[in-house]
Amino acid sequence: MSGLWTDEERALLDAMLNCLIPANPERRIPAAGDLGVADFLAQRLRREVELGSAIKTLLNGAPAHADAMTPQAVTALENEFPAEFRALLSVTYMGYYSRPDIRALVGVGSHPVHPEGYEVESESEALLDGLTAPVRERGRNYRDTGPIRKS
Amino acid sequence: MASDPVDVLIIGAGASGAAFAWSLLETRMRILCLEQGSHLHDSDFPSRNQDYELSRYGAFSCDPNVRRLQQDYPINSEESCITPVNWNGVGGSTINFLGHWPRMKPSDFRTRSMDGVGDDWPVDYHTLAPFYEMNDRNTGVSGLAGNPGYPDYAPPLPSIPMGRLGRKLARGFNELGWHWWPSDAAILSQPFDGRQKCVNAGTCDLGCAAGAKGGTNFTYWPILERAGVELRTECRVREILIDESTGLASGVLYFDPDGELREQRAHLLAVACNGVGTPRLLLNSVSEQFPDGLANRSGMVGRNLMFHPLTGVSGVFDEPMRGHEGPMACSILSQEFYESDPARGFLRGYGLHAGRSTTPMTFALGGFGIDDPIPWGAEHRRIMDSVYPYLAGLTVVTEDLPEPHNRVTLDPKLTDSDGIPAPKITYSLSGNTRRMLRHGAERATEVLLAAGANKILKGDCEKVWWRAGWHQMGTCRMGSDPANSVVDAWGRSHDVKNLFIVDGSIFVTSGAVNPTSTIQALALYIGDCIKSNIENLFD
Repeated sequence: MSGLWTDEERALLDAMLNCLIPANPERRIPAAGDLGVADFLAQRLRREVELGSAIKTLLNGAPAHADAMTPQAVTALENEFPAEFRALLSVTYMGYYSRPDIRALVGVGSHPVHPEGYEVESESEALLDGLTAPVRERGRNYRDTGPIRKS
Repeated sequence: MASDPVDVLIIGAGASGAAFAWSLLETRMRILCLEQGSHLHDSDFPSRNQDYELSRYGAFSCDPNVRRLQQDYPINSEESCITPVNWNGVGGSTINFLGHWPRMKPSDFRTRSMDGVGDDWPVDYHTLAPFYEMNDRNTGVSGLAGNPGYPDYAPPLPSIPMGRLGRKLARGFNELGWHWWPSDAAILSQPFDGRQKCVNAGTCDLGCAAGAKGGTNFTYWPILERAGVELRTECRVREILIDESTGLASGVLYFDPDGELREQRAHLLAVACNGVGTPRLLLNSVSEQFPDGLANRSGMVGRNLMFHPLTGVSGVFDEPMRGHEGPMACSILSQEFYESDPARGFLRGYGLHAGRSTTPMTFALGGFGIDDPIPWGAEHRRIMDSVYPYLAGLTVVTEDLPEPHNRVTLDPKLTDSDGIPAPKITYSLSGNTRRMLRHGAERATEVLLAAGANKILKGDCEKVWWRAGWHQMGTCRMGSDPANSVVDAWGRSHDVKNLFIVDGSIFVTSGAVNPTSTIQALALYIGDCIKSNIENLFD
């Protein structure tokens, strides 16, 4: 999208993101790079200069070709540039899980939670009575005090 | 430029300031509240947006050092293992609190005489009980009557759903024969007083767009403003002024929304800025009579800072727990280990809170209050697909005993955007607290296993949650002796007869429960004391 990165850099970044959050092919959950999280990063670094520097540092230290961006290569980057890696990791998680489609794939509603919310059934009186019966049967479990005696 | 004096000037429009103002409504005094933040409007609530979780890491972070909004002041927490979190605006931290609403217990007010630690309060549970009840009605509290953990009382609304997660854990507690009870919550289980019931969005920390959570922006303030209480927003108080001839507080200097410094005079002042903001304001209010800060002849302003140190343990179950559905913090609460038992190796106790699990982004970034992201790579995929949906957790919430070296002071360099010195926190955990956290983590593990967890996820319980500083207490403690306390049993300064403090800073001990219910009960009680003694209030 942005002209922030060359095609080669973008391919490297996508490969790196795919290593950070890989796909689950069985459940058709995409990896972070394939999902386009780099576009989210591009938006963020317009106002977060340090993030841009961190990504540049990581790309400069990365293998020359996207094909070589393996988990081992990413581990090497993490070890060599821990602060920059941590910055990228956090924003990658934000970009990935801010997607409603991804939320739905991990079992959470894709909708904004207001006004719809979630339907959660209230426990019936009988169920509450039954569950709390053993607690009530054991009796008081606090120490009482009398009121203060005024001198 | 000075303005006409008001009868009552309240500084801070949060939990305590609002309740205190409500208590004084019937006096028909002219009441003014100065609030450094502003109102939230309907469109401001992030939970109406698709990417609502992102706001937790920006403008709706609970941490003012992350938010950095105009109304926020920075806090230097470099010498603390816990950083204070808050919200500055109409409603204060009831905007982003989680609405968990347990009361303190009778023994919490008598820790010195019953357990030989902390100090006794100059008020007791039974004195406050009517004010708890009054506040529960005003707030709209949901819960189940008959909890054997307390003297008898009945919340006005039925309890909110425990959910699958709560029911599962309740059976675990029953299996072990331990106390638990559905949590009291300042969250509506039914429509109440023109407000809609909770929609189980699970984003209580992002403000409640439904108005179901009992933030004072939805409870007290609409009533107060309709009744004529003047609320001036975006007004930050720099200092409280003293009349050197009478020794009474005469008013305040504050920055108005345009950044102009103004004077507001008042006959009675109430400070309601929380356990960090209140000592900060008093320490910034220096005069010839009070060279070490206003109302600080005891030297206790800022000392005895208490939080509630937390640690968490989670279990992985065989079925999805749907923990993202429902109010975040309030499913069930066990107080099996709340009262002292010296055989456990520590004094006082803790609660085991079954909150719900967080949403995916928050979980991936390390959870609520924590900053350690989960692993990346194949392990990330496995955790999110095979662990996250199946989680239920317990939070160990410990009582923090007062220690004078845990304190709020003024940072020599750091200031807010108006140039007012910022607070600095110096705080460390006691050995008693560390033993409690270890004990709690072990008991939480037992419960989760008894409830059927097939795996336990436990962090290092020596490392408490960094953003656990929701509950800020003790820094202007109540007491009968002016030598070692800041305010008396009415919340009135020992040193300045028309200055009251009505927030959590006046707590003598912390209990091991969320404090807002007690903060507001105390504010109502102090208002009642003022009304009962209005004829000779400043004698």
